[in-house]
Amino acid sequence: MGDVKLEHVSKHYDDVTAVDDMNLEINDGEFICLVGPSGCGKSTTMEMIAGLTIPSEGKVFIGDREVTNLPPKDRGVAMVFQNIALFPHMDVYDNISFGLRLRNYDKEEIDRRVERASEIVQLGGMLERMPDEMSGGQRQRVAIARAIVRNPGVFLMDEPLANLDAKLRVHMRTELQRLHKELDTTIVYVTHDQAEAMTMSDRIAVIDSGQLQQIDPPLVCYNEPANLFVAGFIGSPSMNFLDGEITENGFVSTNIDVEFDPADVGIETGRDVTMGIRPEDVYLVQNERQVANPTHRIEATTDVLEPMGDEIFVYLKLAEEAHADLEEASVAANDQLLMSVSPDSDIEEDRDVEVVLDRTRVHLFDTETGIALSHGIESTITASGPADAEAESDD
Amino acid sequence: MSSETSGVGVGADDAEMKRGPLGRWVDKAIKNPDRVYRAMFYVATVFFLVTTLFPFYWLLVLALTPNRLITNMGLLPKGFQPEVFITMFERVPFHLFMFNSFVLGITTTVIVLLIASLAGYVFGRLRFPGKGILMLGILAISYFPPAAFLIPLFELFTGNTALSIGAVTISSPDLFNTPAPMVLPFSALFLPLSIFILTTFYGQIPDGLEDAARVEGTTRLGALFRVIVPLSAPGVATAGVLTFIAVYNEFFFSFLMNNGEASSWAPIVAGILKYQGQFDTPFNLMAAASIVGVLPVAVLVIIAQERIVSGLTAGALKE
Repeated sequence: MGDVKLEHVSKHYDDVTAVDDMNLEINDGEFICLVGPSGCGKSTTMEMIAGLTIPSEGKVFIGDREVTNLPPKDRGVAMVFQNIALFPHMDVYDNISFGLRLRNYDKEEIDRRVERASEIVQLGGMLERMPDEMSGGQRQRVAIARAIVRNPGVFLMDEPLANLDAKLRVHMRTELQRLHKELDTTIVYVTHDQAEAMTMSDRIAVIDSGQLQQIDPPLVCYNEPANLFVAGFIGSPSMNFLDGEITENGFVSTNIDVEFDPADVGIETGRDVTMGIRPEDVYLVQNERQVANPTHRIEATTDVLEPMGDEIFVYLKLAEEAHADLEEASVAANDQLLMSVSPDSDIEEDRDVEVVLDRTRVHLFDTETGIALSHGIESTITASGPADAEAESDD
Repeated sequence: MSSETSGVGVGADDAEMKRGPLGRWVDKAIKNPDRVYRAMFYVATVFFLVTTLFPFYWLLVLALTPNRLITNMGLLPKGFQPEVFITMFERVPFHLFMFNSFVLGITTTVIVLLIASLAGYVFGRLRFPGKGILMLGILAISYFPPAAFLIPLFELFTGNTALSIGAVTISSPDLFNTPAPMVLPFSALFLPLSIFILTTFYGQIPDGLEDAARVEGTTRLGALFRVIVPLSAPGVATAGVLTFIAVYNEFFFSFLMNNGEASSWAPIVAGILKYQGQFDTPFNLMAAASIVGVLPVAVLVIIAQERIVSGLTAGALKE
């Protein structure tokens, strides 16, 4: 009953298109995150599920009912808002029971449900407080209790943790996961924080410019991003991108070459491609043994170090490889590479180093369309990850 | 502070001797501007109190003085006749006129608040083309002098206007001596101010609260009356009290849309004028009636004062 389906849904405001031909299927009981940069249309998408916004085109289904033009109150959804949106003139009990009272439940039933909901979110003994007497985390819990008390088919959460401080946010994150396990209800969760999306959801829907870019489990989005946008958005810090070209020797750019047979990965030569490599897949030469299938050594100079405690981010300035035949257009963007190393690494700023890349973790994208061509050089396009690639190269 | 006074020393005494009292006062005022501000505050307050409260005092003086002695009045009553406050009810059923005023005021206030709430919601919370022009139109109309409407409205409400559609002629109803010809123009005249006040208030309620109410199970209208109106209580109280007082004080339509009898819904104004006979004008009774008539409004304002002040000065609502 809690599955949600969007069919060719669009929303236009005057001359702006907020959501463009969105198709989305969310299964019952699933925890799904809509992520994307601000203004990408994720909140509009959620508002269309909630009924607060009516789509310009397309259909919305909740369960097996079409709800496209139903008002929010008749959709069987509950929502938690970014600004929490508790009614300031009502105490906690009245806030939680607001929806039940509107539906004329009898007093005992309301009491029973409010008590249960407040137990779930650990709000016992606070039912008579006013919202302005509570802390941010407590208010957020009241908002969640208000949502769960009606046993809705679908929970909609619009950046519910965005206004909380960092520590509380992490705490509430685990509470939400626990809640999802307990209630087993569909949760649609909007966030611009990819870390939240990665940690909590069953599947992530990455949205940009009103269009769905990829919808997959978090690790698939991370390991096999469907396009350049997803690759750059998921993962922090972001993936390194280098523009180059496919030749018969493999990938060639002004700074980094990766040799392979283009036929192996099924990309014709002469095509403009962008290579992506995550910071953790760049290794110092002394750690080369950790990589089953390294590229050849790449010369670089360390620029800035960012020690994070559990790892150090190293900005590398790349030396230019001599390619007279390559066009000069993409030189500027190509000369930097971000690497993450373990904190005990012997590394300093402004030193010449050599690094290698893990070939199985190299992503290739079509520069023009941004569509992923290959994940992992030694594997074929359809293979899914480093496991296969390692098996192949292990001869 | 002490170092400042001691630091002035002997030279300051010399300077003081050379100046006159005004010079010294100016000197002090420059050193300590707070004194001046406080002095100005007292002057302004006393001025305000005198101009507003003196008329009441004067009414009291007139009321207590027996009518035949009311000539060449000074600041004190010439005599003491408190029974005038009983006589006034014996001579004219003033309580009925007050009741009429209350009914007219409350009816108008309810109508105005209801309609202004809907309008305020639309103007404050929705976006639609032509909103600015429409709002401007409403404000402009509110500045039309009511006298301009008087004759057409009088004709309309006394049944002298007929509208012909083909063979059918619809004559306007004769509403003279009923509350309608007062309540209707009052509502129309005082609506713009309330719309304006409520628009600002409703516009400040965060969208999230309305969205939350709608998701929880109200319609837009339900959200307006369950969430937005209660949260805008100071604004609603302000609009309500201002409307009520305006109607209670109204003279023009109140005087002309009825025959001046309490049974014809004539309000306080008519009541006060009713004391005037063909051969005498009992100023003491009229003064007493005026005082009695003002009291309910004074009480209302004192009770609602806090709300009105906060409503007039700020949209004091945090999310």
